[in-house]
Amino acid sequence: MAEVVFPFPFPENLELILPEIILAVMGMVVLLMSVFLSVSRQNIVAGVSIATVIAVGASVLYVSGSDASTTFYGYFVLDPFAVYAKLLIAIATVFAMMLSLNYVKDEANVGEYYTIMLFASLGMMLMVSATNFVTMYLGLELMALSVYVLVGYQRDVLRSTEAALKYFILGALSSCMLLYGLTFLYGSTGSFIFTEMGDIISNSGEDQRLAVLTGMLFVLAGLSFKVSVAPFHMWTPDAYEGAPTPITAFMSVAPKVAGLVVFMRILVDVFPGLQAEYTTILMFLAVLSMAVGNIAAIAQRNIKRMLAYSTIGHIGFILLGLIAGSNDGYAGILIYMTIYLFMTMGVFAIIIMMRRDEIQGELLDDFAGLSRVRPGYALAMGLLMFSMAGIPFLGGFWAKYAVFIAVIEADHIILATLGVLFSAIGAFYYIRIVKYMYFDEERVSFNFAKSAPLQVIVVLTTLVIVAIGIYPEPVMAMCRLALAGLV
Amino acid sequence: MIPLSSFLIVGAALFSIGIIGLFLNRKNVITILMCIELMLLAVNINFAAFSHFLGDIGGQIFVFFVLTVAAAEVAVGLAILVAYYRQRRSIIIEDINTLQG
Repeated sequence: MAEVVFPFPFPENLELILPEIILAVMGMVVLLMSVFLSVSRQNIVAGVSIATVIAVGASVLYVSGSDASTTFYGYFVLDPFAVYAKLLIAIATVFAMMLSLNYVKDEANVGEYYTIMLFASLGMMLMVSATNFVTMYLGLELMALSVYVLVGYQRDVLRSTEAALKYFILGALSSCMLLYGLTFLYGSTGSFIFTEMGDIISNSGEDQRLAVLTGMLFVLAGLSFKVSVAPFHMWTPDAYEGAPTPITAFMSVAPKVAGLVVFMRILVDVFPGLQAEYTTILMFLAVLSMAVGNIAAIAQRNIKRMLAYSTIGHIGFILLGLIAGSNDGYAGILIYMTIYLFMTMGVFAIIIMMRRDEIQGELLDDFAGLSRVRPGYALAMGLLMFSMAGIPFLGGFWAKYAVFIAVIEADHIILATLGVLFSAIGAFYYIRIVKYMYFDEERVSFNFAKSAPLQVIVVLTTLVIVAIGIYPEPVMAMCRLALAGLV
Repeated sequence: MIPLSSFLIVGAALFSIGIIGLFLNRKNVITILMCIELMLLAVNINFAAFSHFLGDIGGQIFVFFVLTVAAAEVAVGLAILVAYYRQRRSIIIEDINTLQG
């Protein structure tokens, strides 16, 4: 027997990928379980999936105490920044799974649904830990392919499959653009590792400039698709409207967190030498997103479609943090994403609750008169909507405050003014829902089914938003701590 | 010896044909899938060419990852297309219009 010689030393600190290992193994276990369990006991699958993601969140906290922060020869990093992002992704996934409990229980193949959700969050967790384009690309594709399937999960519903088809085509196009830009960055640096590429690009001469700029443009365009920045937002309203509502909630938070983390890492590590150039591009994207998101949302009658445009608008505000390019700006992005997670999950929990008696509950008219029948839900929805609009002393206000202050400190007064202007326009369509709930006559009956998980989410998210609104310091301090690994 | 620029021109041409095909094609969704494949092949040509001229093996390794992901992507894409066809009984692009706003 010849002795096997391993060409590399065995990677050290493998415990850092414990959360990913749990996700990958349990994803397969859940798939097998759903095959062996009888149809009436499929709800066990959901329970196991939720428990898995909670365990993943706990294991992220556990391994974050480790002394080491990189493994696989430096190709995988678990800095405080990645830890924070992974916790957000785990929370978003747990919430989305709890939202799904009642929604998908009558569908066929529930096991596949939860398996694919687990794999989607595995992809996102790999993305936020990536220090090189290979890991980043594979994580991104694992996430994207899983989400395409989840959007089209209701195979017997035309609009679900159509949304998946549209999302798939534009998503595949965006991956191609990202890769095409990457080829030029690789060609001018000869490396895939973020920091190495950044050093070479910062020191490169004029002759490399065209290739690097072309590469950067394509990479930024590809990433912008993934986080639905205008003008690359065309897929967002269709995908949001057609997808099953829990998946809409999932994809409006978790992939955005992962995408923005990668966005930040790439801008900070790969393009520090091109800050002037990318700031100009981002300014254009941010203003366009704020405008498209907040103005187009006014015309929508379907609340899922309205929230899609609302996401585009929020991403526009978040880009202000990237434009600021300072620690405060990046901390602002994390604060924004944290608060946005809770607001969005709460709103979608209420939307899912509105589905009753053959009514989808997605039209604005369906909310008319809610306050007279269900004052509690109307109050929660009202608070969440005021928070989304950025009314002071609710969570959403501090989110916007954080990015606006950062962008003002970076001397972009005009951008901050535009931001405030667009958020005032946006307040109109959020508060219009409050008007429907409190001042309109009810047009449809409100006998929706009781669902404990949904009620828990509504109460929890509303309390969190109010608590952060009154006392935002702990969240802000946490987000600043999380930045230690980035800059 | 063929210079690097020739490879890049072929890559750029393939990528452009892919993008133009994606946006101008009004007939059939299958054509769109073919255009996406074409764009990924353009990416692979670029990677292989750069890898060869830089003397760095990394680009060629990335090509394998791209090929693998492209296969998975087409599998998912065709599955979605079949599910769509069962509902709509058509894959003509102009018929994909249920969701509008």
